[in-house]
Amino acid sequence: MASYSIWIALVLGILAYLGIVLNLGPGLWLQEALVVGVITGLIVGNVHLGLTIGATLTLMSLGMWTYGGATMPDFMTGAILGTAVGALGGGETAGLAVAIPASILMTQLDVLGRAVTTVFIHAADKYTERGDIRGVTLMHLLGQLPWGLTRAIPVFIAVWLGAGPIQHIINALPHWFMHGMQVTGTMLPALGFALLLNQMPVKKHWAFLVIGYVLYAYLKLPIIGVALVALAGAALYLKLRGSEARAES
Amino acid sequence: MPSPEDGLEQVAETAAVTPKDVRSAMWRHIITLQWSWNYERMQALGYMWSMLPIIKKVYPNKDEMIGAMKRHLTFYNTNPQIGSPPIFGATVALESQKMGDAVDSLKIGLMGPFAGIGDTIQGVLVRPMVAVFAAALALAGSWVGPAMMFVLGLIWCALMVPLFYLGYRRGVGLVDEVAGEGVLSKVTEWATIFGMMVVGGFVPSIMSGLTTPLQFHKTVEVAGKATTKTIALQDTLNQILPSLFPVLVVGLAFWMIHKLKLSPIWVLLSLVALAFITGAIGLF
Repeated sequence: MASYSIWIALVLGILAYLGIVLNLGPGLWLQEALVVGVITGLIVGNVHLGLTIGATLTLMSLGMWTYGGATMPDFMTGAILGTAVGALGGGETAGLAVAIPASILMTQLDVLGRAVTTVFIHAADKYTERGDIRGVTLMHLLGQLPWGLTRAIPVFIAVWLGAGPIQHIINALPHWFMHGMQVTGTMLPALGFALLLNQMPVKKHWAFLVIGYVLYAYLKLPIIGVALVALAGAALYLKLRGSEARAES
Repeated sequence: MPSPEDGLEQVAETAAVTPKDVRSAMWRHIITLQWSWNYERMQALGYMWSMLPIIKKVYPNKDEMIGAMKRHLTFYNTNPQIGSPPIFGATVALESQKMGDAVDSLKIGLMGPFAGIGDTIQGVLVRPMVAVFAAALALAGSWVGPAMMFVLGLIWCALMVPLFYLGYRRGVGLVDEVAGEGVLSKVTEWATIFGMMVVGGFVPSIMSGLTTPLQFHKTVEVAGKATTKTIALQDTLNQILPSLFPVLVVGLAFWMIHKLKLSPIWVLLSLVALAFITGAIGLF
C-alpha cells in the first residue's frame, strides 16, 4: 500500500478532533500519544507500530503539562501522523521522523486555535447584553471548532495526500539520516526524564534516584520490583522522619 | 460515608433551584468547561454557560439574569479536573442562595491555588509515573500500557463528581479547609520519594537501547605469537557502570533545562543534533 484512501484520512481526522475536544471537556485522555497511537495503529492495521511510536512520544512528554494554558508539543497529532506514515512500510524510524517534527510544528496551530476562539467570547458578550441565552449557548459550543479543526484538518490532509509522498521522501533518504533518527529515538526519552527531574527536589532526595538506578542496572530487578521497593522505601522514610520529629519535640 | 447528595436538601429549600438543576450545571461543567477556552478570558465562557441552569432559576428578572451572567464572564482559569469542580460546586451553592456577590472573590481566591495543586497532582505526581509504566509496557508490546493511560483519564473524569459535591456542600468554608492542609504535603512528599526511586530505575530500563557498538582491536603476544583480541567497549562499560550512556544523556538534558534554563524545544533539538553526530561518528 503506497497511500491511504480518503476514508482512512477522514477517520483519523475525526480521531484527532475528538481527542482534543474531549481533552478540553471531560478529559478521558484520548489525546495521550500512547492511547491515540494504538487506536491509529488499529485503523491502519499496525498496532505494534502504534504502541512503539505512542510510547516514545509519551516518554518525551513525561515532565510536560499545559500549566495555566501553556502550549506544549502536540504529541497526539504527532502520534497519529507518525503511526500512519510508518505503517506504509517505513516502520518505527520513518514514523518517528514524521512524528517528532509534526509534534513541534503543531504548536503553532495550537496557538492559532487558542487565539481564534477569542472571537466566540466577544460574540457571547454581545448575546449576554441582550440576554440571548441561545446565542450564548451556541457561542460556547462552537468554541470547540477552532480547537478541533486545527488538529483534524492537518491530519486529514497529511494522511490523505501526504502519507504517500512523505513515504517516498523517507525511502530516498540516505542511511546516515535514518541511522540518526534511530539514535534519536533511543535518546529522546532523556528529555522527558530531565523535565520530570527538574520538577523534583533532586538535591534533597538524590539518594533515592541512585537506589532506583542500582536496583535496576546492577541488581537486575524487574521494574515492578523497583516500584515495590520504592513504595516501601518512601513509607519507611516518612515513618522514620515522623518518629524523629516526635523524639525532638 | 455520606452520599454525595447529602446537604442538597437544605440548599435547595432556600431557592427555587432543584437538585436536577445542580446536576445539570455539574454535567455542563464536566463535559464542556474548556470548549471555548481562549487566550483572553480562558475558561470564563464555559464557566458561565455551566452556571446558566442555576442563574435562570434564581433570577427570573431578565436584567438581574444578565447581571449574573456578566459576573461570570470575567477571567477565570484553573486546573479543569481537580481544581475547578470544587470551586464550581461552591459557587453553585452560593448562586443558588442568591449570594452571587460573594462568588467573584471566591473564584479569584481559589483558582490560583487550585491550579497549582491540581496541576502538581496531575502533571508532576500521577501522570508521569503512570505514563512511564505504561510506555514501558507498550515498548514491550503490551496493550496494557495504553489501557492504563486511558483508565487514568477515566478516573480523573469520575473524580470530578465527588469533587463538585465536596465544593457544593462546603460552600465558602472550602477556603478554610484548603488552607492549612497538612495531608497534601505529606502525600506529595511520599509520591516524590516514590517517583525518584522509580525514575532512577526507569532511566536505565527504558533507554537500554542506547549502547555503543564500538570495538577495540588489540594485538597481544600470547606465548610468542601475536594474536588480535577484540574488546567491545560496551561489555567493559557494563562491568563498571551499566547504562552509562543513558545516565549521561539524561544528565546532559537535565543540566540544559535546570542550569542553562533552555526551553524543552531547544533541549529536544540539541538531543536530535547530538544523536545525529554520535550516530555519524559511530559511537551509537
